[in-house]
Amino acid sequence: MIKKHWWKALGVVLLIYAFTVGLLVPLKPGIQQVSPRSADAGTPITVLVNGYNTSYPADPTAIRAWLKVDSIHALAANSIRQTSRRAIELDFVLPASLPSRADVMPASLIIDEAQSGVQVLPDAVFIRQQVLDPAAGNIAWSQTVIQDLHKTSGMNFPFRNILKETIRNTYFHVSLWFAMLFLFIASVYYSIKHLRTRELIYDHWAESFTRIGVLFGILGLTTGAVWARFTWGAFWSWDIKQNMTAIALLIYLAYFVLRNSFEDAERQARLGASYNIFAFSLLIPLIYIIPRLSDSLHPGSGGNPAFGSEDLDNTMRMVFYPAIIGWTLLGYWLANLSARLLILREKYLSE
Amino acid sequence: MALIREIGWLLKKELTLEYRMRYAISGILLYVLSTVFIVYISAVRIDGAVWNVLFWIIVLFASVNAITKSFQQESGQRQLYYYSLLDPRAVILAKGLYNCLLLLVLTLLTYACFSFVAGNPVKDAGPFFLAIFLGSLGFALTFTFISGIASKADNRATLMAILGFPLIIPILLTMVKMGAQSMGLIQGNSIRSDIATLVGIDLVLLAVSLLLFPFLWRD
Repeated sequence: MIKKHWWKALGVVLLIYAFTVGLLVPLKPGIQQVSPRSADAGTPITVLVNGYNTSYPADPTAIRAWLKVDSIHALAANSIRQTSRRAIELDFVLPASLPSRADVMPASLIIDEAQSGVQVLPDAVFIRQQVLDPAAGNIAWSQTVIQDLHKTSGMNFPFRNILKETIRNTYFHVSLWFAMLFLFIASVYYSIKHLRTRELIYDHWAESFTRIGVLFGILGLTTGAVWARFTWGAFWSWDIKQNMTAIALLIYLAYFVLRNSFEDAERQARLGASYNIFAFSLLIPLIYIIPRLSDSLHPGSGGNPAFGSEDLDNTMRMVFYPAIIGWTLLGYWLANLSARLLILREKYLSE
Repeated sequence: MALIREIGWLLKKELTLEYRMRYAISGILLYVLSTVFIVYISAVRIDGAVWNVLFWIIVLFASVNAITKSFQQESGQRQLYYYSLLDPRAVILAKGLYNCLLLLVLTLLTYACFSFVAGNPVKDAGPFFLAIFLGSLGFALTFTFISGIASKADNRATLMAILGFPLIIPILLTMVKMGAQSMGLIQGNSIRSDIATLVGIDLVLLAVSLLLFPFLWRD
């Protein structure tokens, strides 16, 4: 029993692990919001910082903060006040000029304290300058060195300012898509097998894999739309990746219409298998090549880095890869049930 | 060698049929003329972007209409006769080649008519004609194969549309993009990768059609 069905148990265990760990592990402390977002060089400013998951200590000397304009130039905060565990105020005296000839330079905000570790908000404050004097700016911005940064302790997922908690959707949206692709590949494999052997049983397998693949595709599209609602502002923003995905689902829905237009099971199987292989060969350019060549909001397209190069850290990998395996095994299980049902139906109902 | 000879015969047969009946070419000519005319009178002004999109859409619908009949024109008995004589790969290659020629004529004809009534915004002719050529090949291969599948069913026209249109979108989008670039509507030099995409898709379609058609045809 266990010897035969261990993979089902493994799939369920992996998914339970992905759901619990993926949903319960907290995010790293991060900077949620700062104000103001712009300032003039040569003036003192007070930056109000809203932290996410932070626990800023009441003792201001335990906190250090910098504004960093490039890899070597930074400015330390003059004084720091804690208003709550989630909010601090930073006073900076901006020098009269920046270490560059540019009119405006974006400065990243870096906050470091022992308990929450280091927190970074890229391009937090935009600094305008009237007097262009790079030499003076160079001196004024080279007074501090950022060093002895603390590490965040414990298990955490990365904090990304635009993603926040939705980064957990990686374990559902992205993993479901991986699993869908594996299911479609399995379906093509069985279609080829059917065409070579003419055995109807392989066609039942191919059809079942396509069914579950489409189900996973719809789930992936839905989770993607929910994610897009949060990060891009709308469930459906006519992004090329979304459109291509919807078309990919149309291609597979057409597969079922095609099958249903034939009465004869043998014909249904042969034409369905041919179309399945043909469609898969066009599915690859449709979802994986064309969106990459066009402008898109989705990671991995139009020059955007693919999700994973820097956002997917080792903690996330510990959940992400098991989630892919878990969804794939669950998909295989579902397809297995569907295929067995089709085989039984053919055996007992066709006579 | 035998394969090439068979393709030659089949192509000659298709062309002779076409010459005797003049069904496809006159039908397409009228189709293109009337569509272009309808587009012309319903649109007030056709500028570059609209021109590009309308052009490829007219080409798309005309191609579907032209190719749908490629496996339906001939009776079942005659198909059986071919099947007993010929290599299936020769059949699909000849049909694909003939349809590609037909689509090239059709597209150039549409281009001529459309330029005549709505002006010609194409600035860089090279990529535009390359897009027409590679796109016609892709359209012909896809629709020929789909019409091979659809011809076995009763609801041919519906199947042709629901099976063919989603599949044609990668090719169509790349063509629209190349068209827009040749008109100077979008900047950038992605033309190489677009050509590579189209050539890649065409080659994959060719390979898959050749591999799968032998399983399709005997019925």
